[in-house]
Parts: sequence; C-alpha cells; structure tokens
Amino acid sequence: MYREQNIRSWTASLNNLWRMSITFLFAILGAFAPADDAAAELTARANHDRIKIDFFYHGSTVSISGISDPGADLIITMTSAEGHQALKKKGKVAGFLWMNVGDMKFEHVPNMYAVHSTRKIDDILSPGEMEKYVIGYPALGKHIEMTPALSGEERDRWFNEFVKFKEASKLYTTSAGKVTTAMENGKQKYYILTAWPYQAPPGDYIVTVYAVKDKTIVEKAEAKVRVEHAGVVKTLFDMAKNNAGLYGAISIIAALGAGFGVGLVFGKGGGAH
Amino acid sequence: MYLYLPVALTSINIIVPVGLGLVVGLLSGLFGVGGGFLMTPLLIMFGIPSTVAAATDSNQIVAASTSGTYAHWKVGNVDFKMGLYLLAGGFIGGLVGVQGIKVLNAMGNADFVIKMTYVLMLGIVGSYMLFESLMSMRKKKSEEVKADKESAMGKFLKSLPLQTHFEKSGVTHSLLVPVIFGGFVGILAAIMGVGGGFLMVPVMVYILRMPMHVVVGTSLFQILFNCIEVTFLQAYTNHTVDFILAVLLLLGSTVGAQVGAVFGRKLKGEQLKVILAVIVLAVTVKIVFDLTLTPSLLLGQSGGH
Repeated sequence: MYREQNIRSWTASLNNLWRMSITFLFAILGAFAPADDAAAELTARANHDRIKIDFFYHGSTVSISGISDPGADLIITMTSAEGHQALKKKGKVAGFLWMNVGDMKFEHVPNMYAVHSTRKIDDILSPGEMEKYVIGYPALGKHIEMTPALSGEERDRWFNEFVKFKEASKLYTTSAGKVTTAMENGKQKYYILTAWPYQAPPGDYIVTVYAVKDKTIVEKAEAKVRVEHAGVVKTLFDMAKNNAGLYGAISIIAALGAGFGVGLVFGKGGGAH
Repeated sequence: MYLYLPVALTSINIIVPVGLGLVVGLLSGLFGVGGGFLMTPLLIMFGIPSTVAAATDSNQIVAASTSGTYAHWKVGNVDFKMGLYLLAGGFIGGLVGVQGIKVLNAMGNADFVIKMTYVLMLGIVGSYMLFESLMSMRKKKSEEVKADKESAMGKFLKSLPLQTHFEKSGVTHSLLVPVIFGGFVGILAAIMGVGGGFLMVPVMVYILRMPMHVVVGTSLFQILFNCIEVTFLQAYTNHTVDFILAVLLLLGSTVGAQVGAVFGRKLKGEQLKVILAVIVLAVTVKIVFDLTLTPSLLLGQSGGH
C-alpha cells in the first residue's frame, strides 16, 4: 500500500517536471520568434479624443494611427451615431419656378460620415462586405430609409442629392490613398491626418479602423472622439436653451445699450447735428 | 479671425458680419428700413441656418434702429404719435399674418405664397418708387408742392372719421389710416418674415404724405419696437437668436446707421427714394434669378423659406 502511494507520487512529480520543461521550452522559443507575428493585433488611436469648441474654434485636425497586420489594407470611418434628418426638397412649380415643394426624411443616417482608405474601396473590399459594414456611399444608400419611400433611379437620385448636401457642409467626405502605411521593426504602422469640420456639432463620434485582406474584413478596432462646448460658447448655448427668457432679455438690452451708446458717441462728436 | 457662434453652431470670419452690419446699417440710417430683406439672405449665403439668420437679424436691428432713431430724434425727425398708431396697426396685422402662415402651411403652399408675395411686393414698391421719384425729379417739384395735389385716394382718406393733426409730419389724417395701413404692412411682414420697413416707408411717403426725413426717423422708431418683440419671441420659443452673431452685426450696423443718418440729411428726399428703389429692385431681380435658375443643391435645411 505504502509502496503504491510512493510510486503515484513519484509519477506525478515526473509529469509536473515534464510540463514545466515543455512550458519553459516554448517560452524560450517564443522569445526568439519573429517580431511581426506578435504585432498581428489591430490598434487604433486618435490624437484628440476630446475636441473642445471654444470661442475661437474653427474646426480641428484629427490624426488616426495604429498598428496592423503587415500587408493588410486599411479603411477608416469616422461617423456620428445614426439618426434621422428632415430636409426641404426643392422642385419646379408651374414648370419654371424652383421652390420648396415638400419634406424628405432620411432614417438611419449619420450626421457625419467620413471614409478614408489606403486604396479605392472598390478595389480592396467586396460589395457584400461593404454592405455588411456600411462602408462607402453605395452601401450607405442601401442602408438608409427615405420618406416618401422611393425606389430605383429616383431613390438613387435623391440619395445622391443628400450626399451632395452633406458634402457641401463638409460633414460627408471620402478619400482613397490618404491613409499611409510604413513597415517599422517588422510591424505595419498606418497614419492619416484629417481635417475635422467645424460644422460637426457636439457629440460622440466613433472612429473605426478595418483591416482588409482578400476583399474581406479580417479585423477591426475602434477609438472615440468627443466634441463638446467649452467656456463662453457653452455658457451661451446652455443659456439660450435652458434660460431662454433671460437670454432674450439680455440680447435685447445689449442691443438697446449698444444702439444708444453709439448714438451718444456720435452725438457728442457732432455727427447727429 | 474666426469666432464660433454658439447658437448657429458654425464658425465665421468676424470681418463678414461686421462688414454686413456696416453696409445694412448704412441703408437703415439712410432710408429708415431695418434691412432684413437684405441681411437675412446674405447671412444664409454665408452659412448661417435660415431660422438663426432671421431671428438674429431682428436682434441686431434693435441696435441699429435704436442708434438710427436716436440720431433722427436729435434733429426732430421722429413723429412719435404717427409711429405709435402705425405700431398698433402693425401689431394686429402681425397676429393676423402669423395665423395666415399657419393656414397656408396646413394647405401646403406656404412657400409659393411667400415667394410670390416677396417678388410682387418688392417689384411693385421698387418700380413705383423709382418711377415716381424720377418723374418728380424731372419736373423739379418739391415734396410740399406735391402734397397740395389731391388725388382721389387723398380725398377718400380726408372723408374718414377721427381726423387728427400730426404736428411733426405736418399732415392731417383719420386715426384709422395709420392703423389700417400699419395693419396691412404687418400682415405682409409676418407672411414674408421681415420687419416691413421697405413697405412701411412707401406707405408713409405716398399714402400718409409725410416728408421723407420724418418718414425715415418714424419708420426706424416703429421697426425698433417690432424687432424687440420678434427678438424676444424668437429667443423664447425657437431658441434661434445667436448673441455673438448679433453683437458682431451690431458693431457694424450701429455705426453704419449713424453714418447713414448723417449722409441722409445731405441728400434730397427724391434722391433717397431713387436709391432705395434701385436697391429694392436689385433684390427683386436676385430673387427672380434664384427662383428660375436651377439650384446647385436640391435639398436644404428645414425651417427656412
């Protein structure tokens, strides 16, 4: 009995020793393994995660950088949360007068939508993947809902008008080739510097980086950018919304004061006589 | 230098609003118009949302018209009595006009009516003022001589009850006349979303037969009160008054109004009318072009005309 226990204990010790030796061996081998295998995980970082809209704000720049699998193409989207937009539609009245002829509502549309990539999206991503991840204008066009409901060419036409409207206010943009990549210590580093439009209102924006191989998205990483009012802008914005009576009264008193003040200055100078 | 506008949610080069304020303030001091029919479209052109442009313009007109009224009052060119009756009429007309817009919106053709009212009123007023002023300049008749010539309209107005003398303007009218015409301008102004100075000035000149210089001061006086009311209502109900934009505009417009008032006294009444008529007609032509040329964008922000 005692001998049997000794044998079991001895066998268990041998097994432990064997496991430890194997682990140690793999650890040694791992230390000498090529570095790029360890860098496969996609990372994304925005240089500004908070953009403050202060008195002298005229937009900003945001750079996105990170590490990706070597040889992968990259697509970077910067979007706000999806919501609805109601716009006035212009049309001809009496055959020759252009005026507002009704409303058009767009559902599931982001207020801001920017797509940047290492190469033309059509060349690096399959149509199915574009639709699945809503990447590129054609995919966004299929994703949204319009009221009144339209189909075919008419739907495409009004979606194109919608994109034109958003591009005119700098909230929608696309580019190919502006995302640059470089190999460093066996790792692929990517980088893009983009102009952040002052038209983008306060809110949370999501930066999503997609790594693409063989026309398929193999990995994605996210970063956040928060845009918020600060200082005088915040005080006035909050007052206009939450204390509208006082805000209106101050606006009127300031205007009356300025009018009288300038009147007095000119009056003393003899201008009014 | 750029400043961020907290309500318009956009950034603007300060030269733009100060410069616009100066130009429109100059017109205000010269002609007694608020300049809304010029300023609001210009602000929209520079990227300000239409609802914020209209509301903030009202706020800056408060400053410009205070400055202008003060300058004209100093030289005795404001008929407060006439101004108050016009204001009373304008207030009632404004209420009627706002209800009218609600009905038109419900019927779905508000935009067509507003645009057509704009073109017709500006076109008629501009053409009439230009034609009349050029004719009287050619005949070299003074305003006083013209006032003696009694038209059928003049005779009808004289026959109305409650006749009273307006000392500052040197005219006698029934109290009903400024109230009714003030009301008429109020309705149109509410429909068009403007202060109505460019309509009120011709009413005072051609119907009430007031001298041009008193017309300018009195018009500014009643515009001041209209715009105080509109500014408060817009800030309170729609949250569309941008204080920073208003300050930038009024920096220019208050000075412009003073300069305009000084220049105005150096020009003859007929010359003032010709220049105002040309500006009104130029705006009319611009609106007609906008209506007939294919717009670059077929979608626009909700809330504007």
